[in-house]
Amino acid sequence: MPNASDTEERTVEGTAGRSAGGFTPPGWVRNATLVVGAALVLLFPELVPNAYVLSAGVIVACYACTATAWSFMGGFTGYVSLGHAAFFGLGAYGTGLLIRDLSLQPFLAWLLAGLIVLVVTVPVGIAALRVRGASFVIVSISFVLILLLVFQAWEDFTGGANGLNVPRPFADLYRPDHHRIFYYLFVALLAVMLLTWWVIDRSRFGAGLKAVREDEDKAEALGVPTRDYKLAAYLISATFTALAGGLYALWFGDLDPIFQFSILLGAYMVLMALLGGARNLFGPLVGAVVVGTALEYFKLEFGDTQLHLVTTAALLGIVVLFMPDGIIPAAGALLRRLGPRQASIREVTAEELLARNERRAAAGGAGAPEGASRDAPDGASGGAGEPDSESEGGR
Amino acid sequence: MDGTLLFQSLVLGVLLGGLYAILAAGLTLYFGVMRVVMIAHAAFVILAAYLAWYFHRETGLDPLFSMVFTVPLFFGIGVLIQRVLITRLRPATLTMMSVLLTFAVALLIEGLLGLAWSGTQRRVQLSYSGSNFEFFGARIAVVKLIAFGLAAVSLALLFLLLKKTRFGLALRATIQHREAAQLVGIRTDRVAGVGFGIGLATAAIGGTALSLDATIYPSLHWSWIGPLMAIIVVGGLGSIPGTAIAALVLGIGQSLLQVELGTTWAQTLFYIALFVTLMLRPQGFFGGRLAQRF
Repeated sequence: MPNASDTEERTVEGTAGRSAGGFTPPGWVRNATLVVGAALVLLFPELVPNAYVLSAGVIVACYACTATAWSFMGGFTGYVSLGHAAFFGLGAYGTGLLIRDLSLQPFLAWLLAGLIVLVVTVPVGIAALRVRGASFVIVSISFVLILLLVFQAWEDFTGGANGLNVPRPFADLYRPDHHRIFYYLFVALLAVMLLTWWVIDRSRFGAGLKAVREDEDKAEALGVPTRDYKLAAYLISATFTALAGGLYALWFGDLDPIFQFSILLGAYMVLMALLGGARNLFGPLVGAVVVGTALEYFKLEFGDTQLHLVTTAALLGIVVLFMPDGIIPAAGALLRRLGPRQASIREVTAEELLARNERRAAAGGAGAPEGASRDAPDGASGGAGEPDSESEGGR
Repeated sequence: MDGTLLFQSLVLGVLLGGLYAILAAGLTLYFGVMRVVMIAHAAFVILAAYLAWYFHRETGLDPLFSMVFTVPLFFGIGVLIQRVLITRLRPATLTMMSVLLTFAVALLIEGLLGLAWSGTQRRVQLSYSGSNFEFFGARIAVVKLIAFGLAAVSLALLFLLLKKTRFGLALRATIQHREAAQLVGIRTDRVAGVGFGIGLATAAIGGTALSLDATIYPSLHWSWIGPLMAIIVVGGLGSIPGTAIAALVLGIGQSLLQVELGTTWAQTLFYIALFVTLMLRPQGFFGGRLAQRF
């Protein structure tokens, strides 16, 4: 929320491009973090002590893929889908069934499964986006529930509760090498997603999606083709989720409807993305590392008890109530509060002030343009209005 | 399918539809007053069923008496959920964030039920559990009839409350147009809180009715929330009569399909109805224009 004590200096360029919490550390810090992070991710298989930790790393990488894929819809448009596990399961089963029934080459089957999910998602997306928010939520959850029912009941085709065995693509490899290859495959998929995210974030399409998130009515009035944009974002999100699911099927080799079409899996995606910050490029990744590691640790320590349900629920509740923008913006706000404060009097040159006042006058005294919503780039509305009054006081 | 069987499934469908109606009524009520899709509703239903089962096991009394405690308790919880949790959320993202919040509540209830009473399937055994009676050739279990009666009575009470009392008037005004209701002096936040309480109280009644006739386990609520959400969309979000009609129609449909296709495939009816409704008539078949925008 913009307020008087909010003394962060924000450039117009920074707020227009990046939607997130607003905290932008200096460039070299960002770059250094990026390089170190990427190096850590790439070197991870060399650093781990044993194959078990490596397999946990594969799972976390898979979570990171799903959470990032989720944020294409959840982060850009603000439409929360609790049913993304449906696409994960469809991608996984699609890959497995294509290999089993058509004996396709594994990675060809994987891509084809992604394409099939893309096609299947079109009618689902149209139904889900017919009316605003509520129907989207209902359809997204229902889609998982119906697929769970169908895949359990249709035993001749899907194997039902007996599971589906997916042959390994690299049959002659030892387990650790298998894990290592899939770790890098997941990381590569993640890199493609992050790149796509980055491109969309800077495009007109991305701006339209964010406009939908901030105020759909206004976006529509401004001529943003909201339905088509939302549908496109949904398709991208679903397809990437399906690709992650297909890769998982090839890696894990054994599918069960209960685990693939699990509501809980969809909830993990949401939790990871929100915890890290669904509007940040690396937010879902950070969230996946935190939550995924915690989940694996929990499984190791306590087994599959009800306790992990309770913990997941509590964590989700806390995130939704207290930091809906995620860790990265929350940490940014904390840094800002603890870090060196800027002088309370802004340095605005006379020319800048004059130019701004003229712009104001040209706008017909309508005052500072109201941000579309509270989480809109708050610097744009609040920050711009404030220095005037301060400098007026000094005159 | 011969005549008797058809009639039998028809009657069973009506009884089932009654249960669906009272359960979905709560869901549509929350949506009406707060624009919240309350995912935790079915979890509370299962919680009430567990409490009824526990009450029966500990006291030996009929599980129906547990409603003396659960209905006021759930009413209170409902008011608290609205006043403490839902109102904390930002209005701009209320619909989406409330879904996550109530989803978290549902998971929490499921997890706590599992911790408290393990994942074992539970069932209330009563002296009249197995008894049937004949009704024009159809065999009807007494427990199903009791459940239906409970649902019908509470639905009728809810309807009277909404239509005949001053509070009902305020509640309907809040559902129709929150700002306008505020302008004429209705304290909409208080009304919304009570609306939430009533919604959750219906979950207590529905859950107790369910416990008479169903085997319960912690994750059962997922197989209820889907059909209930489909019902409120088909009936028109926010419309209680629409919800009741949709519940009856879909309940009968499910019961008839069950004979031919078995339970699992019959359940897909709800989801098909959901998709068809959204494609053809997104505001629902019986609802007003409220749902159009949501």
